[in-house]
Amino acid sequence: MADALAKSDFLGREEQAAPKPFVLWRPTAKTGLISWLTTVDHKRIGFLYGISALFFFLVGGVEALFIRIQLAVPNNSFLTSTQYNEMFTMHATTMIFLAIMPLSAAFFNFIMPLQIGARDVAFPRLNAFSFWTFLAGAIIVNLGWFLKSGAPDAGWFSYAPLSTRTYTPGHALDMWVMGIQLLGVASIAASLNFVITIINLRAPGMTMMRLPVFTWMTLVTAFLIILAFPAITIALVELMMDRLFGTNFFEVSNGGMPILWTHLFWVFGHPEVYILILPGMGVISEILPTFSRKPLFGYPIVVFSGASIGFLGFGVWSHHMFTTGMGTMGTAAFAFTTMAIAVPTGVKIFNWIGTMWGGHLQMRTPMIFALGFIWLFMLGGFSGVMHAAAPADSQQHSSYFVVAHFHYVLIGGSLFSLLAGIHYWFPLMFGRKVSEFWGKLSFWVIFCGFNITFFPLHFVGLDGMPRRTFTYDANMGWSQGNLVATIGAFILGVGVAIYFGVMIYTFFKGERTRHDPWDARTLEWSLPNPPPEYNYRVIPTVHARDNWWYEKHHQAEVSAENAKHAAEEAAHGGIHMPFQSIYPFFAGIGILIGAIGIAVIDPNPDPHVIIGRKLAVTLVGLLILVVSVYLWSLEGNEGYHLHPEDEEGHS
Amino acid sequence: MSATAHAATAGSHELEESKFQIYVQIAMLLAVITGIEIITVYLPFAVPILFAILVVFSAVKFLFVIFFFMHLRWDRPFCTILFFIGLILGGGTMWALLRLFGAEASMPLSSAMLETVRWAAVA
Amino acid sequence: MSSTAAGAIDHHFDPSTSTGIPNKKLLMWAFLASDCMFFGCLISTHLIYRLHPPPGVPSARSVFSIELTSFSTFILLMSSLMMALAVNAIQKGNLKSLRASLLTTIFFGCIFLGCQVYEFNNFVFEKHLTITNSILGTTFFTLTGTHGCHVAVGVFWLMLMYIRTFQPRDSSRDLRWFLCNALHIVAFIATILLGMRLVLGVVRGMEATGVSAATLAHFARGYFAELLGIVVSLGLLRWLAQPRGAVGFNETNAIDVEMMGLYWHFVDIVWIVIFTVVYLLEYI
Repeated sequence: MADALAKSDFLGREEQAAPKPFVLWRPTAKTGLISWLTTVDHKRIGFLYGISALFFFLVGGVEALFIRIQLAVPNNSFLTSTQYNEMFTMHATTMIFLAIMPLSAAFFNFIMPLQIGARDVAFPRLNAFSFWTFLAGAIIVNLGWFLKSGAPDAGWFSYAPLSTRTYTPGHALDMWVMGIQLLGVASIAASLNFVITIINLRAPGMTMMRLPVFTWMTLVTAFLIILAFPAITIALVELMMDRLFGTNFFEVSNGGMPILWTHLFWVFGHPEVYILILPGMGVISEILPTFSRKPLFGYPIVVFSGASIGFLGFGVWSHHMFTTGMGTMGTAAFAFTTMAIAVPTGVKIFNWIGTMWGGHLQMRTPMIFALGFIWLFMLGGFSGVMHAAAPADSQQHSSYFVVAHFHYVLIGGSLFSLLAGIHYWFPLMFGRKVSEFWGKLSFWVIFCGFNITFFPLHFVGLDGMPRRTFTYDANMGWSQGNLVATIGAFILGVGVAIYFGVMIYTFFKGERTRHDPWDARTLEWSLPNPPPEYNYRVIPTVHARDNWWYEKHHQAEVSAENAKHAAEEAAHGGIHMPFQSIYPFFAGIGILIGAIGIAVIDPNPDPHVIIGRKLAVTLVGLLILVVSVYLWSLEGNEGYHLHPEDEEGHS
Repeated sequence: MSATAHAATAGSHELEESKFQIYVQIAMLLAVITGIEIITVYLPFAVPILFAILVVFSAVKFLFVIFFFMHLRWDRPFCTILFFIGLILGGGTMWALLRLFGAEASMPLSSAMLETVRWAAVA
Repeated sequence: MSSTAAGAIDHHFDPSTSTGIPNKKLLMWAFLASDCMFFGCLISTHLIYRLHPPPGVPSARSVFSIELTSFSTFILLMSSLMMALAVNAIQKGNLKSLRASLLTTIFFGCIFLGCQVYEFNNFVFEKHLTITNSILGTTFFTLTGTHGCHVAVGVFWLMLMYIRTFQPRDSSRDLRWFLCNALHIVAFIATILLGMRLVLGVVRGMEATGVSAATLAHFARGYFAELLGIVVSLGLLRWLAQPRGAVGFNETNAIDVEMMGLYWHFVDIVWIVIFTVVYLLEYI
């Protein structure tokens, strides 16, 4: 491997790097604010995504509690109808784009390169840029809370024509549009990086069929993101053109068809929900084998099912539109494909059960969350299959039955699996372990609170309670169900508070763990906790699936191999590390300013003013972005070399 | 792995010299095809035939550019697979959208209905 | 490690990667797969609205000019050839050929953009097809405009790449080379913008009053500032392009040019699709 790196004509050469002017200054701080702003280390970037995600998760949770307070009793006046609309719009937008996706991204960033035996992702500065652009998008989407225009309130799906300027004037929605665009840019950039990393930066011997399942799911999710986000980019461009320039994409009087928005949105929106669940499924596929003391049952079929779900996910989008009158053929076709996609999902569940069957189960906290995931995700899947039957869906559509379904798959599925992942990988990332008692307590309170909240909503939904309606009458028969759900929501809130409290405590003062505390199977556990900046002192050679397990049982062979490779690496000048850079951060600032400028542009400008103040803001932002990217390209990617012996004072 | 790589390098040297010729020839071919396409629209054939001819010619130009100018013919197959995943998904989505909007149930409002809507918007 | 023999680098094989495909090449192909979905959705929007138009939409045939569009299609195809030749040149280490090919690609790209500007102006002011007054205008201008933006980004990138080929190998710590760079960019952008303004002005002038000595003199008076500006900026470009010692750009940078080439060819194939679907299909 070291030979290959030395021979490559595509890597920058430190010796060839000439001295450069001050504007291409190299930040070298390893601690402090500058080190965070200029970091290109995938572990730090993962950490930044993680804390942002957890922060926004709390924001989204508060928005949810407000919704539940409003719906606790009939004819409530806790929120006005507009405030209620803002709440459910922002709760969904925050939870989907600012909580679950970045939490998944945190794991993609931190864990995936470690699992494939790499030192970093393929394009470290692009990785940093993705994070800063994500933060810019998160800021813009939430700016409305602080402005007179209010927060976006047309739903997280912003259906036309409600979202056109005729029915939603004001800049709140423009903020939402630009925010989601930036989040899309960030996601696509990050996913391109992950695809190249997984395809090209694997350790020697790591064939695709030896990849840990979490890495496979990262790959499938990354493909989903790069292929699905363009659809919403176009939809948002069309909506923005309508709002800013008066075009006719969704303007009925001039031949526009609002249903086109709905289609384009769900062409993105359906793969999006698989983007939300597949990473969690990958996490579960790591946790179950570790705590069952058995390899994953049916690895090839689990991988194949994951890929099938990804691919088929592009062919089911109109099941969100069964009631829009697509005609018999269209409706039937999508009902068929939706039923079909349940099959690989079911296959995965059977494989997970097969993994546990006959295993020596260790009921640690991550395992408990994983078991909760399997059960709750299955329940969510059952209500999903009920939706797939188009005639039944005509009753369920837009009712609380749908709300119950997707919260089972999103909280019971995505959230539980990611919470499991936090517990599982906490020792690796921070060298400390969460106490079993408090971890399990948080699980049980969350589990109970979640079910008390959302199980009644199945019945309330089938009884006809519509979504997105700020209040209901006392004689509808929904009062009891809603009250129980609100109580459950607060219990869920308490559970989340315990989970967060415990995590924060453990981060600062938790019990330190030994190396590889779970006796796990995959490569990331071979590293010290926490891993050094360069990850692997010696790039491992991979002999089998679950290579760490192999290494633990073939120690002599592996030591000899590693000693040989270490000598080669040292002979070639040491470990090659990428330089830090400030330009991804500056580019993020440019894109933030530019996007805000577009969002606040006045749609009916004074014709005598060629460049108004707001257009000037946009142009300034664009200029900062272009200059930053240009300097980024000029600063070169030679990197530097370090010798691990010097770093740690021992070899 | 390295043996075949060396062989490929040796072979590609001859290829480098003739690549210039290939590129120029293909560019001429593309120009000729474009000319034929423009003439085709004026021919008195039935619409489906003209449509088929135009689609085939465009596809031929498309494939020449990606396999020769964009080098896919001489690169690893994975690059081709990667691009075709996006192409097929994009094409498939386009086909599905056109079918959906072409369905009887999806037809837009008739002009009488459109007038009603216009009046309602103005009022 | 440095290669001295031209063509000694295998540009298609990077031993440090698991597949042998260089990272940047794979990145660009993945991005282009994503861009396929992007343009696919935009073209779908246009097709849907052309297949199901409301009553009263203008006839595309009466608005479009197939001659102009054929000309610009041909130009873009030739620019694609030039781009392929540019990549070929740098892979053999031939810097002079690379620069010539890049300049020609930029030139053809600018002609394409100029044709689009002319076309858009013609449609808006003479044919009365605007982006807001009909669904045809909306989808047409958005689709071709987005493609045009991709071309413009490509021209900008090509320009930066061309200027990058002049970066001295021994760039010292003071600002000199950096300021030269900035000046080069400004001069190039000025040349492009002024050139477009002049050519479009000539074309419009010829359309209005025909060609004669009197009209040319009138034109020269009216566009005197632009003429002066372009002479200055062209002079600057010529001066900045003079050889000034060893440059830090050689075969090892071919991957960057190749990556840009992939983007440029993609823009061309999208136009191949748009030319057929948006223009030619209106005529059958």
